[in-house]
Amino acid sequence: MRAVRSPLGAHASPLLRTGRSLPFCDERHQRAHQWLVDEAWLLDAQAYEEWLDLLTEDIHYLMPVRVTTALGAGYDTSPGMAHFDEDKYSLSRRVARFLTEHAWTEDPPSRLRHHLGNVRTFATEEPDHLVVDSATLLYRSRGDVREASVVSAGREDLLRRTPHGWKLARRTVMVDDAVIRMQNLAIFL
Amino acid sequence: MADQSGVLADVRRGMIPAHIYNDRELFELEKQRVFGRAWVFVAHESEIPQPGDYVVRRVLQDSFIVARDEKGVVRAHFNMCLHRGMQVCRAEMGNASHFRCPYHGWSYRNDGRLVGLPFHQEAYGGEAGFRRKGRRLLPAPNLASYNGLVFLSMDPDAEPLEEFLGDFRFYLDYYTRQSPTGIELRGPQRWRVKANWKIGAENFAGDMYHTPQTHISVVEIGLFREPKAQKRKDGCTYWAGNGGGTTYKLPPGDLDERFRYVGYPQQMVDRMKQMFSADQLRVVGDDGFMISAASVYPNLSFVHNWPRVADSDDVLPFISLRQWQPISEDETEVLSWFAVDAEAPEEFKALSYKAYLMCFGSTGMFEQDDVENWVSLTSTAAGSMARRLLLNSRMGLLEDGAEVVPALTCDQFHGPGVAHAGYGEYNQRELLNRWADDLERPAKPAPTLEVGVGEQARVGSPA
Ligand code: FES
Ligand SMILES: [Fe+2]
Repeated sequence: MRAVRSPLGAHASPLLRTGRSLPFCDERHQRAHQWLVDEAWLLDAQAYEEWLDLLTEDIHYLMPVRVTTALGAGYDTSPGMAHFDEDKYSLSRRVARFLTEHAWTEDPPSRLRHHLGNVRTFATEEPDHLVVDSATLLYRSRGDVREASVVSAGREDLLRRTPHGWKLARRTVMVDDAVIRMQNLAIFL
Repeated sequence: MADQSGVLADVRRGMIPAHIYNDRELFELEKQRVFGRAWVFVAHESEIPQPGDYVVRRVLQDSFIVARDEKGVVRAHFNMCLHRGMQVCRAEMGNASHFRCPYHGWSYRNDGRLVGLPFHQEAYGGEAGFRRKGRRLLPAPNLASYNGLVFLSMDPDAEPLEEFLGDFRFYLDYYTRQSPTGIELRGPQRWRVKANWKIGAENFAGDMYHTPQTHISVVEIGLFREPKAQKRKDGCTYWAGNGGGTTYKLPPGDLDERFRYVGYPQQMVDRMKQMFSADQLRVVGDDGFMISAASVYPNLSFVHNWPRVADSDDVLPFISLRQWQPISEDETEVLSWFAVDAEAPEEFKALSYKAYLMCFGSTGMFEQDDVENWVSLTSTAAGSMARRLLLNSRMGLLEDGAEVVPALTCDQFHGPGVAHAGYGEYNQRELLNRWADDLERPAKPAPTLEVGVGEQARVGSPA
């Protein structure tokens, strides 16, 4: 995954992966994998308050806008633009909105399924931090007239061990579409 | 094609046959008669600042390479190779001195000129068989810009852009001319919604009435303090030239205080005071109105809002440009850009970008609920019952056509055009009246160009 700069990400941990992906039998990998699966169930259920508790205070949650560029261009994201470029405050507002009775776009709620795969875990220079790659495919179905929509993305996460368990400290979502085929992103990936 | 005169007559009375929001025949007419002649936004000059920078943008299905050539001139060419019609450029942005067609290798400079033609001599007999000299990709029929906003018209005889925009330019300046450098654009975010393109354009033009209902959740979470029903109704809508928009009423204060109320730092206010005309400043300072959403016919819209971007009482303004690019009668690609004054402090730019993301665009908390409404409206408009229903778009008018509230006087509102305080559907009617005027007028046949044989463009029959 290419490094993507964001004007709002300066507060986040810059820790990088080291070495090759950990063997699947490594306990650190198993823990990270389970964390992602548990998270996917929370997102399917739109249990967003619980989800918010899994994020560190210095979270940076970034989903760049992908663009089609020539092979040699050296970039494939829109400079300085993203779909999500969030800190804990902005994520907390998004979650708070879903908890009002007036977030019409999710009333009635979508049927959501986050399909998770291709999980790889990497050590970092700090034992309390792991970098985890994964693929996610979100199936979102609303109402009974329109066809369901799908978003496919790769993710790179930084997980941090805290006194309250493992938490997400950084996430970069590389969506696979230049033009999103979903009416809005009133979801999380 | 069915006679649409009844539909257009109803629209002009402010009664909208519901099926116009999902009607294949009307969409075919719109393609020729609306998008075949209007000035359509394609890019902002700040998106292609350096020689060789380009973006590829569409007008309906037609793809254009909008590029800055080596001399700095912004040009737009139809993205189709003159040989056998391959797409010349398949990226959506980048920097290139030349575009080489991948099919047989013809190459074009970034000013559109054909410069490379493999085996020109052997295959065509050189210039005698195929004149390469002076040949270029098919230029956009018409191209012009205002405040760096580049517009394209498919009509070579379109009226000048400045006339097309008319007095709406007065309002366009608030969004795009806050300093001598003007705005820089970032994005766009692009996504597809199963909604008819007209709904967004109408909504942004004048629908203050939806704000307190549709967007109540953003008030409840403390993001934006203004949309409360009581406050929104104190704003006014205005229509001028080929566009119109909405405003919020500002609390008492002088000009500087009112700009600062929406979060502009004093140095930006000072520049705006240099840039804006006396009347542009009076609308804010004396009349107490701050521009918010707006649309230019047919499908370009603007937003200017001032939410909280952190856990404090401070607000910060952002600007967005968006285009409702029609895909079909029931699908629209939304292109949503973040815009900011290029001379603004870096910290302001970063926070304004954050404000934009929280409110509008693919993830915006306002936009999420708007789209839900428009998608649902569009699918409901598909069937035969929608053909029996004339929707009422007459808010602000009594049955005899008299206005519920009189237009603001020139002392109450110093901007050009007609403005009304409170809720009304004046602007939605203005927009759809232009649409009806266009749909009524048949398109002229477009000229065709023969590559390499006739040197003259000739007028053929319309597609
Ligand atoms: S189609 Fe482009 S070179 Fe032949
Ligand atoms: Fe809205």
